[in-house]
Amino acid sequence: MATYDSLFSALGLEDWCAKGKEDGPMSMADLLAKSKGKDAEPESLWDLPFPSMDALNDSCAAFPQSRELTKGLEQGFLAIKDNLSLVLDPLTQPLSWFLDSALYGMLNTPWWIIIPIMLAIVFLVTKSWKLVALVAGSICLLAFIDYYVYAMQTLAIIFVCAFLCVLFGVPIGIAMSRSDTMQRLTIPVLDMLQTLPPFVYLIPLIFLFSVTESKLYGIAIILYAIVPVVRLTNLGIRLVDKDVIEAADAFGMTPRQKLFKVQIPLALPNIMAGVNQTIMMSLAMVVIASLVSAPGLGVLVLRGIRNLELGVGLVSGLGIVILAVILDRVTKASLARINASQKQ
Amino acid sequence: MANDIKISIKNLYKIFGPTPDVALEYVKRGMNKADLLDQQNHVLGLRDINVDILDGKITVIMGLSGSGKSTLIRHLNRLIEPTAGEIRLDGKNVLDLNEEQLRQLRREQMSMVFQKFALLPHKTVLENTGMALNIRGSKTEDFESEAVKWLARVGLEGNENQYPHQLSGGMQQRVGIARALVSNSPIMLMDEAFSALDPLIRSDMQDLLLELQDELQKTIVFITHDLDEALKLSEHLVILKDGEVVQQGDPQDILLNPNDPYIEAFIHDINRARVLRVRSIMKKHADNDADYAGDIAEKDNLETVLSRSGGDTDKIFRVVRNGEMVGSLCMKDLTRALVPTVASPETNHQG
Repeated sequence: MATYDSLFSALGLEDWCAKGKEDGPMSMADLLAKSKGKDAEPESLWDLPFPSMDALNDSCAAFPQSRELTKGLEQGFLAIKDNLSLVLDPLTQPLSWFLDSALYGMLNTPWWIIIPIMLAIVFLVTKSWKLVALVAGSICLLAFIDYYVYAMQTLAIIFVCAFLCVLFGVPIGIAMSRSDTMQRLTIPVLDMLQTLPPFVYLIPLIFLFSVTESKLYGIAIILYAIVPVVRLTNLGIRLVDKDVIEAADAFGMTPRQKLFKVQIPLALPNIMAGVNQTIMMSLAMVVIASLVSAPGLGVLVLRGIRNLELGVGLVSGLGIVILAVILDRVTKASLARINASQKQ
Repeated sequence: MANDIKISIKNLYKIFGPTPDVALEYVKRGMNKADLLDQQNHVLGLRDINVDILDGKITVIMGLSGSGKSTLIRHLNRLIEPTAGEIRLDGKNVLDLNEEQLRQLRREQMSMVFQKFALLPHKTVLENTGMALNIRGSKTEDFESEAVKWLARVGLEGNENQYPHQLSGGMQQRVGIARALVSNSPIMLMDEAFSALDPLIRSDMQDLLLELQDELQKTIVFITHDLDEALKLSEHLVILKDGEVVQQGDPQDILLNPNDPYIEAFIHDINRARVLRVRSIMKKHADNDADYAGDIAEKDNLETVLSRSGGDTDKIFRVVRNGEMVGSLCMKDLTRALVPTVASPETNHQG
């Protein structure tokens, strides 16, 4: 006898319940109860269990147990997995190519070409010799302690993923800013992407793609890091001065002219702030993604944890901090330059 | 220039709220603004506006904040859609235009100057000035000479390559005016264009506008909350209160015959001698008999005449236009015209 027997008999569902009685896997608790012989005495009100799936299953064998829910979800996913990857595989294949060729390019070009190119880019976007010196110093330090390869792998992955985040994130943000319905639909998705623990992204991806493919971690990083650039593009365009928009309308701009001549240029400071956040978040995720074979400094961190190599873990952690600092400084400096040219 | 009607606004209503059509019925049955907000939760923007805007003249629409003047001017180029009524530009109803035709109208017929300048902060003064032409597809090289010409005309030579934030408020608004002029449209809408400027600069800008108007004779619709400014600029004055036209007509006439206590309150503090002109109070006749103390022009203001008379109220002046006598002005009438209008229905109009 279980607590909710009376409920099912009152509803006249005994026949349906009896059908499920025949077999079905037996849980450990059931076995223990059986070995003890008789069920316990009917409980007092104090011990009344919540009518959960398991409690109801005690009374009616046809009622599903909660583990069947997670199992069902898993089986459902496995059932659609083949069809899903049939569609997703070719769609995401370019991501693998990008990542692989970026990694190949960064690692097979000699250091005395890569480092000057990076410094030139830093100077181009910031026009600051101080920052160039900071970046040069940081990279030379990492190279000196023989972490050059790992650092370049991490950077290559970040560049590809952040670029793709901007490529997709900015248009999504623009679409959100133009339609309130679109905004209402997109914001819950963004909220979910932002609050879902980063490890959870990896689980369905492991089912969908093979762990040897680089797009696996690429997708995880992009999903995690795309949120700020979308949000801030939307916000930036919505915050553009209403008077200027009105002037654009009054002089007869088409919606397209308004977007490219007014809204995007005026939203640029916010969009760049989003890009900065996106880069920082891809750096955070690239470390976690080392769990699914993303190369780079994260692998060393993982080795540090797995083999309890304290020194390796600490130094590679420090390397990540150095990369974070230079990426942040460089993007912030270029953001400041845009802001300076636009002050009202 | 004949007094052709350029834009004619007929029975224009604007109601803000979720179901303006329903509220419109109540308003047409006479519900007032406060009741409409209380009972129907709609805001009455404009009620039954009928205004004719004359070709080549400055029409000033004046009212306090919340009187609907900015709403009204935005109806002319349909930045705001009316609830009911029509707006005819050269006889054609603006409300019938589709999106493309409306864009054409905004590009070629009407330009606008804004209270907060609304320049593009990331573009240079030159690019801002040429904005109207740039929208129509011209490159910077194409509109450069035109833009430089108008910038020079508004007194901004040598500032072409600066950015708006490097200029003072008055200079930014000069760019705003140059931008409107470059579009070469016959109509200019000016929405409180000088309200954000300090008094001295404002007066400069008014002079600049009058000077340009002398030369260009555009149809200008000017919005302001400042009566001095309205009287200085207007050839036709429309006074709005709570979304309704209280009085419209020749500003001199309104000053002499205010038909509403609201307007009397408005004109109470005005320096009448500076605003009133000889033509509004002179006696019209051609008899050249009396003993005249001298000649005055009909567009002189009373202050000039007062200083010429030296305070002697017995003098009579001859009023001339282009050398021909058109009437006379007795100093006693002048003094009477300077008496502030009070709430009595009687007026001092001597016309």
